[in-house]
Amino acid sequence: MNRSQGAARPLSRRTLLAAALAATASGAALTGCTADASGDGRAVRFLGPETPETFRPVIRGFEQAHPGLRVAYTAVPPAQLNDVLQLRLSAKDSAIDVYCVDQPRVPALSARGFLTDLSGVGRRARAAVTTEQYEISSWNGTLRALPVWTSTQYLFYNADLLEKAGVGAPSADPAERWTWERILDAGRRAMQRAGCAYALILEQTDAYYGLQPLVESLGGGSGITGEDMLSPAVTTDGWVKAMRWYHDLFADGLSPRGVTSFQLASFFTSGKVPFFVGGPWNLGSFAGLKEFAWGTAPQPYFEGGRPVTPTDSWSWGVNPYSGRQEEGLKFMEYASLTTAGSLATVAASPLIPAHRAAFDAYAARLDEQATKSTEGVAAIMRHELEHTAVSRPRSVGYTQFETVLASAFSDIRNGSPAEPRLAKASDELVRTWERLR
Amino acid sequence: MTSTTRPPDTDGRPTGPAPAVRRRTRSQARTALAFLAPALLALLVLRLLPAGLAVVDSLRHHSLVDGVTRFVGLDNYGDLFGDPQFWQSVRVTLLFSVIVNPLQVLCALGLAVLFNRRFKGARFWRSLVFAPIAVPPAVSAVIFGILYRPEGPLNALLGVFGLPSQPFLTSPTQALYALIVLMSWVGVGYWTTFLIAGLQDIPQETYDAAAMDGANAWQRFVHVTLPLLRRPLAFVLVADTVSNFLVFAPVQLLTGGGPEGSTNLLMYDVFRRAYSVGDIHYAQAEVVLLVALTLAVVAVQYRLMQGKGEE
Repeated sequence: MNRSQGAARPLSRRTLLAAALAATASGAALTGCTADASGDGRAVRFLGPETPETFRPVIRGFEQAHPGLRVAYTAVPPAQLNDVLQLRLSAKDSAIDVYCVDQPRVPALSARGFLTDLSGVGRRARAAVTTEQYEISSWNGTLRALPVWTSTQYLFYNADLLEKAGVGAPSADPAERWTWERILDAGRRAMQRAGCAYALILEQTDAYYGLQPLVESLGGGSGITGEDMLSPAVTTDGWVKAMRWYHDLFADGLSPRGVTSFQLASFFTSGKVPFFVGGPWNLGSFAGLKEFAWGTAPQPYFEGGRPVTPTDSWSWGVNPYSGRQEEGLKFMEYASLTTAGSLATVAASPLIPAHRAAFDAYAARLDEQATKSTEGVAAIMRHELEHTAVSRPRSVGYTQFETVLASAFSDIRNGSPAEPRLAKASDELVRTWERLR
Repeated sequence: MTSTTRPPDTDGRPTGPAPAVRRRTRSQARTALAFLAPALLALLVLRLLPAGLAVVDSLRHHSLVDGVTRFVGLDNYGDLFGDPQFWQSVRVTLLFSVIVNPLQVLCALGLAVLFNRRFKGARFWRSLVFAPIAVPPAVSAVIFGILYRPEGPLNALLGVFGLPSQPFLTSPTQALYALIVLMSWVGVGYWTTFLIAGLQDIPQETYDAAAMDGANAWQRFVHVTLPLLRRPLAFVLVADTVSNFLVFAPVQLLTGGGPEGSTNLLMYDVFRRAYSVGDIHYAQAEVVLLVALTLAVVAVQYRLMQGKGEE
């Protein structure tokens, strides 16, 4: 009797423990089931830096064209997208099917095995998108991503402020493109006569995309050289001159310090600055503002230098660790290789489609819908993409290049002298790239 | 020497506990183990295993040129020791720790002593001090990012008093101190709660006895409060030190480690190397060194606190 009682007590504890563990395990299993049955069970999981509104038309169009397939989009802040991708893909995360690929990062992502081989749709892609966009989405002769957008930059100006300052507005004709020197003269006059707080704002401060044209305009080169494109060249005369100009822009109070890139457009729209250099996505947001008189002109260049504009944008790639690669590729094909899909990607935000037919339709629409503010925009876009666009360098070390230079640009903007800071960046690049070999 | 637990039996041979007692002991041990199992499993899976993997990963290198991952022994550590950016990060982290930890603990102690008293409006002031605990660190960083803007509210306030504008986060000489203020705003209220709990555990009789012996307020604080608050103080100091070694979000959101690397704390440097630069094995080596540094500092703190207790 005693023995049976003694045996029963531990047994009952074990039973309790087993029941608790079983309940926990069932709970976890049920949670898993719930997540799987949440409606997104077979959805294409898409990760990108844009707002959900930007991709809503293309997702809706795809879902209508492919009944039974759905797309679940997750937005990541643009500045963090590359870090998030590196983090998740290096952990072989299968919960991403399709993701946005910053085009100069195609070589690095390919080298890390983060992009699938898309040769199967290579012929169709070559026919559908521009040659430059096909090439920028390939690495070592293999198509690794499908191009969706390309880009350029415009000079936007506040017409009211310039008039108040007694300064004529810049022409939309690329042949009459202003120089940076002339822009700053006009900006200073606007500060003195129209009460502007600043003379000029560059939208992409600290970003290589935004600053490469300054350097290339002065013949400084891309910053990467060598047979394997893993040798820094950021201390050339052109680099030093361009970065001195960039340093002085902030040191002289002509541009604001301590403000993040995404807050800068509001300085322009609130009348604090007469000139703003930014991407085509601003066309839509500026157009929505009433009683704001603005105009568009080609991006300036340095006196004695050559006109250079940034280009390239986003492609989409398939995650090799995804279990839904086929569905993901269908979504990408719709967005990149069909006219309807490509136009849907720019329906909510006026980015420039990489698809040939969609590009023509987009340019025609810009002309048709042109207002006083956007007069000549389509012609500027065509001219820049054809004559002045310079791609970012193609290197497996581009990720490190952009990261190291972003810190250098930020320091120079905050007052570090350009030449030693570039030399420091060069040393850091040598050390960092040596570790890639 | 005789055993006190096993008295000799009548045969002169030692006897163990009765079988029933032995069975009960084993059964209790199994039950205890079963109850501890989830915690031990979590410790193994969430702490020890990742730590082990970090050490193993830190001994490898992946080449982007040929795509091969190789065992490189201690080469990553060698590279780190020869990397000026790493040493700058160590210097910045130590300077940050040397200032922020005593500052936070002293402020928390002062506020705890103050709020342990009863006075008019105490609850209101307590709420104000504790409020930042409820604010996520990222939100706090955004709030301070706005405050510190060159044309932001802080400079406007300085202007009211006729003082010149300050560059705050855009200056290599001010950015770290601006972060220290932000981290203290976030942390002091949190650590104060532990110290208030510790103060409330001190028996009133000890104060009464000290008062009867003629001790004044300062003497009561030094000779009664501090010694009896040693355990919670040790916990706060160690936990605060560890948490400040792991500061990341404000650096990521506000300064990106700059200007001139002046806020490049080790935790952010690890993140940058791992995910922005994409050199995960190098970053793992830095993680191992960061953990070693943290453990060394914590060990010294424990030793100092124990020594104080023995006195």
